[in-house]
Amino acid sequence: MILPALLLALVSPPASPAGNWRAVLDLAGGELRFSLNVRPAGRVLRGSICNGRSCTPLSGIRVAGDTVVLEMADYAATITSVLRGDSLTGIYHNVGNRGPRTIPFRASRGRWRIEPASADLLGSWDATFVTDGRSSPRVLLFSNDSSGFIGAMMSNTGDYGRFWGRAEADSFRLAHFDGSFVYMLTGRLDGDTLRGIFHAGLRTQTAFTAVRTTGRPHLRSPTEMTSADTSAPFRFAFPGLDGRTVANTDLRFRGKVVLLDVFGTWCPTCHEASPMLVDLYRRYHGRGLEIVGLAYEVTGDTAVDAPLVRRFLVTHRVPYPLLLAGTSDVASAAATLPQLQGFTSFPTSIFLGRDGRVRLVYAGFLGAATGAQHDRQVAEFRATIERLLAEPPR
Amino acid sequence: MIRQTLVPLLTALAFLPAPRLAAQAPADLAAERAAFTDWLVHSPVSPYAAVSAAPLDPAGVGLELGDRTARIVERNGAAWLEGAGAPRVLPRNRPALVGTTTVLVTGEPPRSRVMLFGAGRRAVAPAYYPYDPALVFSGTLVAPTAPGSERVLTPDGVEVEATVAGTVTVPLGGGTTLRVLRLPDPGSEESSLEIYFRDGTSGTGSYPAGRFVTLAPIAGGRYRLDFNRSRNPFCAYNAAYPCPAPWRGNTIAVPVAAGERYESHP
Repeated sequence: MILPALLLALVSPPASPAGNWRAVLDLAGGELRFSLNVRPAGRVLRGSICNGRSCTPLSGIRVAGDTVVLEMADYAATITSVLRGDSLTGIYHNVGNRGPRTIPFRASRGRWRIEPASADLLGSWDATFVTDGRSSPRVLLFSNDSSGFIGAMMSNTGDYGRFWGRAEADSFRLAHFDGSFVYMLTGRLDGDTLRGIFHAGLRTQTAFTAVRTTGRPHLRSPTEMTSADTSAPFRFAFPGLDGRTVANTDLRFRGKVVLLDVFGTWCPTCHEASPMLVDLYRRYHGRGLEIVGLAYEVTGDTAVDAPLVRRFLVTHRVPYPLLLAGTSDVASAAATLPQLQGFTSFPTSIFLGRDGRVRLVYAGFLGAATGAQHDRQVAEFRATIERLLAEPPR
Repeated sequence: MIRQTLVPLLTALAFLPAPRLAAQAPADLAAERAAFTDWLVHSPVSPYAAVSAAPLDPAGVGLELGDRTARIVERNGAAWLEGAGAPRVLPRNRPALVGTTTVLVTGEPPRSRVMLFGAGRRAVAPAYYPYDPALVFSGTLVAPTAPGSERVLTPDGVEVEATVAGTVTVPLGGGTTLRVLRLPDPGSEESSLEIYFRDGTSGTGSYPAGRFVTLAPIAGGRYRLDFNRSRNPFCAYNAAYPCPAPWRGNTIAVPVAAGERYESHP
């Protein structure tokens, strides 16, 4: 029997990770579930990681023997695993200044069961997070869709992407993993109050309580976070991907309504906002809207950053210029756009009137996971642009 | 106040078999150590690759670029690179390549710091004490009586405002209460509960100034304190890093022969 087995081993193709996987990151606070989908595309493999119906493509998949490496290049992250039969086992890791950030990973073939929540959990909740005696507000939005129980979480500076998970009686577990952010919400309904824990990364846990949204504002308005000097036209001058400087004084912007998108290719929320901006450009460019993306990238080194921004441009089919404005921290954005005060978040949208002055600054972006809130933001953006376009040229 | 003592995890797992098996490091710890060693050897910001560190004071920090000198200065809360083409802002807490030098700006104004990395020393894989399951404890974190914070150095020598998270008590040296601080991870939702401690091995097998160990949450609002995961501050790898001063009170009177060892290298 040894010889046939040996022959079989010699002629069998190596096992392939193609297929659907029930994937898990093992956090200190329990398992974070997500879906991993891998499919052949010609001679290579393509894949994505999904939270319910919201998926993030992998930048690459490498297979060597029984080792499978899933790459997320935008976030300098990888999942390195070993394929044994119908299971993958390994670690997720990305690199920081104090060493690698590692989280155990495992997956088994198949799809997760759909486990919607009862009506008691659904709806909008005003949450208060407490860390070491200090509190901060969030809003939680829970609903069901065809993938099961989904959620969104908003802070004063935007949302955390789509959460997906399951509920069992009064308890729930929702997670968001996009290759960079590792978030999980666990908790239970206790009378009229949600009591739970927000998990970030492998070990950070923040307790929260939440009550039904009352209608009173729980978060600051995104238009109140960042203000601007409106006494003069808003100045910007940064190199484009072709190396030529694009500035607010260029002829193309004279008398136009301009929307500046302060973004970064490393920022998942910025990726999510991009289709809306492209849609706005296509709707309103003919009537006088210009959009300019100001990219704040990881290194500040053009040789490294420009290819990332170029990939962003191609991925999202961006028809407007993207400029290399600075590096990916709030201080950099504040320093290179000194007419802003209180810059807090990526993305931030700056609306300039036909006179070149700031008319509105919108901090953050509420993704599709926030449902009606997202729809409201899109409507506000359109209404703002319509209003500015209706103003006479100066 | 009721003192709650962390109990050895093994007391709840008394049925664990032979010591020989139990003395093997768990797979996740082995994977963490392997990833860390790989990072020490290959990362451009490995502590072994550091060649200098300097506070980003008003005069700025000079940077030799072949035949000219660039400067890094802090203005409007950002670190600007001047004299190497058009002025540009350097990222904070992320490495940037300037010429052939990797530059890392850390900390917050007015206590920012510039670290330069290049062809530093050859990395040495960390050495560890044998895994000791008797030095894994679980228990509760006793909250402080009032919220507080203090400025401390992180393992990589960056000054941060840490919040006082509470205390844990371990049954070592007749019962030792250790202060726990929450160290922030700038620009992220993450943070870590850290204990910087000295013990009977400090200077005689482990790093003289002390070691860091992370308090990890487990189920039921409890925490695991695994001294096998104790690790050295970066100043143990390279004197370019400032060394955290030992935290007040966090001294265990007996040897804790677990976690990372220290051998001085020329």
